[in-house]
Amino acid sequence: MRVEFQGELDALEAGFQETGEIVLRSIRGVVDALRTQDVELCDEVIAFDDEIDDRYHALEKQIELVLARQTPVAGDLRLVLALLHSGLHVERMGDQCVTIAKLTKLSSHLDTKQTVIESLVDMGDRCEEMVKVSLDAFANRDVERARGLHGLDELVDRANRQVFGEVLGYVNDPEALEWGMRQITAARCFERIGDNAVDIGEQTAFLVTGEFAEFTDASH
Amino acid sequence: MEAPRIDSGRIAEVSHGLDRSEVERREKVFSVSDLSVAYHGNVALDGVALDVHKNTVTAFIGPSGCGKSTFIRCFNRMNDLIPGAKVAGTVLYHGQDLYARDVDAVEIRRRIGMVFQKPNPFPKSIYDNIAFGPRVLGMRGSMDDRVEQALRQAALWDEVKDRLKDGALGLSGGQQQRLCIARALAVNPDVILMDEPASALDPISTTRIEDLMHELKRDYTIVIVTHNMQQAARVADMTAFFSVLVDDEGGRRHGILVEYDSTTKIFTTPSDKRTEDYVTGRFG
Repeated sequence: MRVEFQGELDALEAGFQETGEIVLRSIRGVVDALRTQDVELCDEVIAFDDEIDDRYHALEKQIELVLARQTPVAGDLRLVLALLHSGLHVERMGDQCVTIAKLTKLSSHLDTKQTVIESLVDMGDRCEEMVKVSLDAFANRDVERARGLHGLDELVDRANRQVFGEVLGYVNDPEALEWGMRQITAARCFERIGDNAVDIGEQTAFLVTGEFAEFTDASH
Repeated sequence: MEAPRIDSGRIAEVSHGLDRSEVERREKVFSVSDLSVAYHGNVALDGVALDVHKNTVTAFIGPSGCGKSTFIRCFNRMNDLIPGAKVAGTVLYHGQDLYARDVDAVEIRRRIGMVFQKPNPFPKSIYDNIAFGPRVLGMRGSMDDRVEQALRQAALWDEVKDRLKDGALGLSGGQQQRLCIARALAVNPDVILMDEPASALDPISTTRIEDLMHELKRDYTIVIVTHNMQQAARVADMTAFFSVLVDDEGGRRHGILVEYDSTTKIFTTPSDKRTEDYVTGRFG
């Protein structure tokens, strides 16, 4: 029954997971670049984003065609909508990696502070784990695992605040402050990657239950 | 208190069917319980219970042989005309038993009009097609006004007003179907039953019939059987999914009601896996 259509849905989901996999490579790359302050690796991460964008646009185009030609309903419709949303979240993660890479390049001529770099690397590692969990929970329709992302995100948020607090201490040293301000922005980018992973978790819950609910209300 | 600076009221609302609680607040037109229909002792439909509410569109969907056409014919006792058909259970129409002995089936069919899959105008003029029912029933008032009003309600007036004396069979299929709807409306019905009203029509004519349903539900209660699931999704407030139950031992098949809910629910998060499989095209 609707073999062709099922094949198209499977291909969409595979396309999303592949995009997620290459975003993970981008996150890994930018974390390594931060740790080693490797400007060339930063350039690679920046260039690599074209690949992520191309895959996202291909996914979006395929979703447009499936919506137009197959008019999915019920669980199929939720899957297509969840893939469209989640694909965009993944694409945004790639953009965050580009920003972190650019910031690392921009501050490469300044002295680094190891405590802040360690916090950022810690954030990046946690984000990588969160993205893996979000992709895995989506693939397995595992709502409980998806809900667990909220707890992981709290740890990323805490590390983000630590970076901010650390940089506040540089207020009397203009050069350290310039470097620190750029690291605050990089931390903010990781923090957004964590949020995007939680968003994918929320899409998993929507896909399975048919109800959309934010895991936490970020507006308060 | 100061007005909020961000006005959420400016976010446009998408028009969709009524939700279930809105529908259920409306007066019950039909209340069906434990209904079964058999033809010459063979059960075609069994154990159906549902309510149809006033000024709503209710759609029946399901695979061939699920009994949806049999069911819609119970609402105006059309099964009485089929030899060997036996209806058991209760169909209340505004609280009165439709199958009670003292009920006049002809009066029922005036109050509960029907439009069929294939347009079936009489081989008479456009005017006479509409005037036939009111004349037979001896309805009072200006016949010209009645004909015009019915044709207007069926969104056909502008296309035929200059050729009312022409034969109805000269109209296009879509126009003939709207003529049949006008003919049903001319006798002041309460309910319009439509059995696959657009399945023989092209997409433009289908759209006109669907638009018409949205208009007509302000004044009438509409029940529609359709094979076209997207049509149900577009026009209906409530949707009932019927399926075929195959008897384990004898292999006999009969129709059952699987799920009845708001159309939005049926097409987004149906409760029953059989409904999900059908609306997503994985079964039937």
